[in-house]
Amino acid sequence: MKTLPIPDRDVAIFRELAGVVGPGRTIVDLAELRTYECDGLAGVRVRPLAVVLPETTEEVAGVVRVAAAHGIPIVPRGSGTGLSGGALPVPGCLLVVLSRMTRILAIDLENQRMRVQPGVINLDVTRAIAADGYYYAPDPSSQSVCSIGGNIAENSGGAHCLKYGFTVNHVVAATVVLADGRVVTVGESASDPLGYDLIAAVVGSEGLVGIVTEAVVRILRVPELTRTFFATFPSTDEAGACVSEIVAAGIVPAAVEMMDTLAIEAIVKATGVDWPLDVGAALLMDVDGTRAEVEHTAGAAVEIARAAGAIEVRTPKSDAERALMWKGRKGAFAAMGRISPNYYVQDGVIPRSQISTVLREIAAVTASEGLRVANVFHAGDGNLHPLVLYDARVPGEEHRAETVAGKILQICIRYGGSITGEHGVGVDKAVYMGELFGDADLETMNFVRCTFDPERTFNPGKVFPTPRLCGDVPGAYAPHAVEATGVGRG
Amino acid sequence: MRDVRVGGTTVRGTPARSIVAPGDLAEAAAVLGDAASRGDAVAFLGGGTELGLGYAPSRVDVLVKTAHLCRVVEYAPADMVVEVEAGITLAAMQRALAPHRQRLALDAPYPELATIGGLVATNAFGPRRLRFGTFRDLIVGVSMIRADGERVRGGGKVVKNVAGFDLPKLAVGSLGTLGMIATATFRLHPVPEVARAIRVGACGADGLVALTRATIANRLEPAAFVATRDAASGTYEAHVLFEGFDAGVAEQIARFATIAEAQGLTSESLGDGERPGALDEAARTHGDVRVRISVPPGDFVAFERDALAPLANVLGDARAIVYPPLGIAFVSGYATGVPATIAALQGARRAVEALHGNLVLTDVRDPALGDAVDPYGTVPPSFFLMQRLKERFDPARRLNPGRFLGGL
Ligand SMILES: Cc1cc2nc3c(=O)[nH]c(=O)nc-3n(C[C@H](O)[C@H](O)[C@H](O)COP(=O)(O)OP(=O)(O)OC[C@H]3O[C@@H](n4cnc5c(N)ncnc54)[C@H](O)[C@@H]3O)c2cc1C
Repeated sequence: MKTLPIPDRDVAIFRELAGVVGPGRTIVDLAELRTYECDGLAGVRVRPLAVVLPETTEEVAGVVRVAAAHGIPIVPRGSGTGLSGGALPVPGCLLVVLSRMTRILAIDLENQRMRVQPGVINLDVTRAIAADGYYYAPDPSSQSVCSIGGNIAENSGGAHCLKYGFTVNHVVAATVVLADGRVVTVGESASDPLGYDLIAAVVGSEGLVGIVTEAVVRILRVPELTRTFFATFPSTDEAGACVSEIVAAGIVPAAVEMMDTLAIEAIVKATGVDWPLDVGAALLMDVDGTRAEVEHTAGAAVEIARAAGAIEVRTPKSDAERALMWKGRKGAFAAMGRISPNYYVQDGVIPRSQISTVLREIAAVTASEGLRVANVFHAGDGNLHPLVLYDARVPGEEHRAETVAGKILQICIRYGGSITGEHGVGVDKAVYMGELFGDADLETMNFVRCTFDPERTFNPGKVFPTPRLCGDVPGAYAPHAVEATGVGRG
Repeated sequence: MRDVRVGGTTVRGTPARSIVAPGDLAEAAAVLGDAASRGDAVAFLGGGTELGLGYAPSRVDVLVKTAHLCRVVEYAPADMVVEVEAGITLAAMQRALAPHRQRLALDAPYPELATIGGLVATNAFGPRRLRFGTFRDLIVGVSMIRADGERVRGGGKVVKNVAGFDLPKLAVGSLGTLGMIATATFRLHPVPEVARAIRVGACGADGLVALTRATIANRLEPAAFVATRDAASGTYEAHVLFEGFDAGVAEQIARFATIAEAQGLTSESLGDGERPGALDEAARTHGDVRVRISVPPGDFVAFERDALAPLANVLGDARAIVYPPLGIAFVSGYATGVPATIAALQGARRAVEALHGNLVLTDVRDPALGDAVDPYGTVPPSFFLMQRLKERFDPARRLNPGRFLGGL
C-alpha cells in the first residue's frame, strides 16, 4: 500500500506527544482514527490530526502545551455520545480523549462529595456509593456510557432534573487545564466559593474553555421512597394537560416523561415492555421523598391522571418492574432503529403549558415534508426530543429531515423557549444561536470564553454562529489598590 | 427620570457624587451609556440592605437607584416562571405570586426592603437554602446593562436551557461589578400546603452534629435546619422546618421528634413555619460586626471550637445562627474594643481557612476594624481568571470599582 509522506511538522508533533503520554497512547494511524471522526451526531465526520489518550492532569497539560507550541486546535472528547457535534474534530486538530481517566479519587460521604476523573462513566459514580445509600442525581439516558467530563461540558440533564437540577447544580469544583497548559481549580469542594461563579462558566462550556481533568461532585442521599406510575392517554393533549394539572396541584414530581404513539411502538419493539400500542400518549412519572409525603402525592397524581382522561394507570409491583419501565424510557432513542432506518434527535425547550400546541405544530411541519416524528421527552420541564424519522437511502430524505429539525427549533424559539435543553449547541445548532440571541448577547457570552481561552484553541467553530475573535481588552485596565498591593491581608 | 443629589449617601464609606433613579430600563441603559462616555464610575443601589459588603469602591460618580424599576415583566403561573425588574422587593414579588400559590423558594432577610437585583448581586439566601438551594439554582434568565450601556441577556424563560454561556449564574454574586442586573427570571415553586417547625435542644456542638447526621441518615427532608447559639451557655437550639402536604409534614415532625428524643433532647412543635426565617433575620441583622462563614459541614465541631465560639465570646451581645447540614454560620455582635475584635476576627478566619472554608465580613461599622481585617480573606487560586473576566466585562473598571473580592 502506498502511503503519503507525513509532513515534518506532524512527525515532530507526534514525537512530542509520544514523549508526553508514553507509547501506545497517541493514535495517528488513519484506519484507527476513523473511530474518532464523529461523536453521537453521526453523519458529520472530520479526521483529527491525531488522537491522544492522557491518563493524568500533568499529561493533559503536557499535551496542551505541545498543541500550543504548534498552534494547533484542540477538541476534548469523553465517551463521544454527545448529540450536537461537541466532540466532532475540527480539521487538523488534536483530539484529546479523556476515556482513560476513569479513577474515582475520593469519596466523602460525610460532606456528600466525590472527586472523580473526567472519564468516569456517569452511572459508575452512583454505583460506587449505592451500597451506602447515596447517588449522583443527574441521570442522562446515556448514563451507562457517557462521561462526567462530557456531562460537565454539556451541562447534561436527565429525567430527574425537574426536581434535582442539572449537572451545574451538582458540580462544586473542577480542575481545568487552560490553553497555555496552566492548571487551575475553579469552585470550591469544601464550602461556598468566593468571587465569580466560575463553575457556571465551565459547566456547559461545551469544551470551549479548557479540559476538565478532575471534578468534585455533590452526592445525595437516596430518597426514602420512590413511587412510579405509567399512565396512557388518548392523545398528547390529555397527557400534556395531566402534567400541567399535577404541577398546578403543588406537586413537584421527580420526573415526568412523555412518549407518543410512535415512540411507544419503537420502545415496545426494542425492549419488550408490555405497553399498549393503541394509545396516543403515555406518561412515566416518579415522585420521591419521605414516606407519607410520597404516598400522598403519588395518590393525588394518579387521581389527577384519571381525571385528566387517562385510559389506564399502572403502578409497578416490584423494583424489577419499575426498572423495566425506566429501561424502556431510557432506551427510547436507540429503539428508533426498530421503526426507521435513520432518525435525527432534536432537543428543544418550550414553556411547559404549550406542550400540546407545539406538538401539533411539529406534527404538521413534519407531515408537510412527508416525514414522521416520534416524541419522547422530559415533559415536566418542557424539554422536547422530537425524533425525526427518515431513510437516508431515499434521495432527499435526509435533507428534508434536517429542514424539519430546523423548523422545530424555530417553533421553540417562537414559543419563548430554547434551542437546546441538554444536548448543547455544538456545531449542529450554532447557526440558530443568532436567532435565539442578539449580537450583543453573543458578544457578552464570548467574554466568558475569551476569559479562559483568548486564542480560541479549544473547540473552535463550535457554539458561536460566526467566528468571534477575542481581541485585546480595550482601554487601560488599572488595578485597584487592593489588587495592586496583593490581597488577603488576613 | 429623577436626578436626585443627596448629600451623605455613601457606598462602603465612599460618597456618591450623584444619585440617579431611572424610571425604566431604557433610561437605565442611557444612564450607563452616558457614564461610559464620561468615564464615570457607577454603583448600584437597591434596598440598601447589603451595603456593608466588600471593599470601599475607589470612586462612585453615579449611584444608580433601582427603586423605580419594580415591574413584574412577565408572570406565567402555568409555567411557574416569573421575570421581574431588579428594583422590586422580594416581598412585593412574592405578593404578586401568592394568588397562584407560588413563590420564589428563597427566604433572605429583609424581604420588604431587599430588592431582587441586590439579592442576586450579593447571592443572598436564607434557611430554605437547604432544600431549594441559592439563586444559582433558581435563576433561569437575566438581562443586564453592560458597562458600555448595551442591554444584553442570557438564559431565557424556560427552566431548562443550555444554549450559550450561563450569564444568569455569572450575575449571581457579582456585586454589581460585571454589569447592572436589569431583570431576572426565576423558576418558582408551589407554596406548600403546610409548613411547620420544631424546636429541639439545647445541646452542644457535638449534639447538634449528631442530630444533623441522624436526620440525614433517616432520610428526612427538612426545608430548613438552623440552630441558634445561646451566648451565655454556648449551647444550641435547633429549629427545623418541614414543608409539604399535611400528612407528610406530620409524619416528618413526629419522626424528627423521635430522633431528638433518642438523643436525650426535648422538642417542641411550633406552628409558625416562619420561625427559622425570623431567627435567621434577627441574628444576621444584629450588632455592628457581622460575618458569614462557610466550612465543610463534616468539620462542624472543630469549626465551632476553633472559630465560632472564640469569636462569639469576644463580641458583645453575640448572636450566631448556623446551618449545620450546609456548614454555614452567621455571627454578629458588638465590637468590644478594636484590638480585641481584630484579633478575634483574624483568629476565626485563620481557623476557618485551615478547614478550607472562608469568612466574609458582611458588615463592619467601625472603619478601624474594616481597615484592619480584609473583608474576604485569601483569594482562591482561580482569582486570575476572575480578574480576566472583569477586564472583559468592564475594561475601564468603572462598575463598582474595587468593591469585590480582591479589589475586582
Ligand atoms: C442514546 C443517548 C441518550 C442521551 N440522553 C441524554 C439525556 O437524557 N440527557 C442529556 O443531557 N444528554 C443525553 N445524551 C447526550 C450525551 O450523552 C451527553 O451530552 C453526554 O454528557 C456526553 O458525554 P460524553 O462523555 O459522551 O461526551 P462527548 O460526546 O465525548 O463530548 C461532549 C462535549 O464535551 C466536551 N468534553 C468532553 N469531555 C471533556 C472534558 N473532560 N473537558 C472538557 N470538555 C470535555 C467535548 O469537547 C464535547 O464538546 C444522550 C446521548 C445518547 C447517544
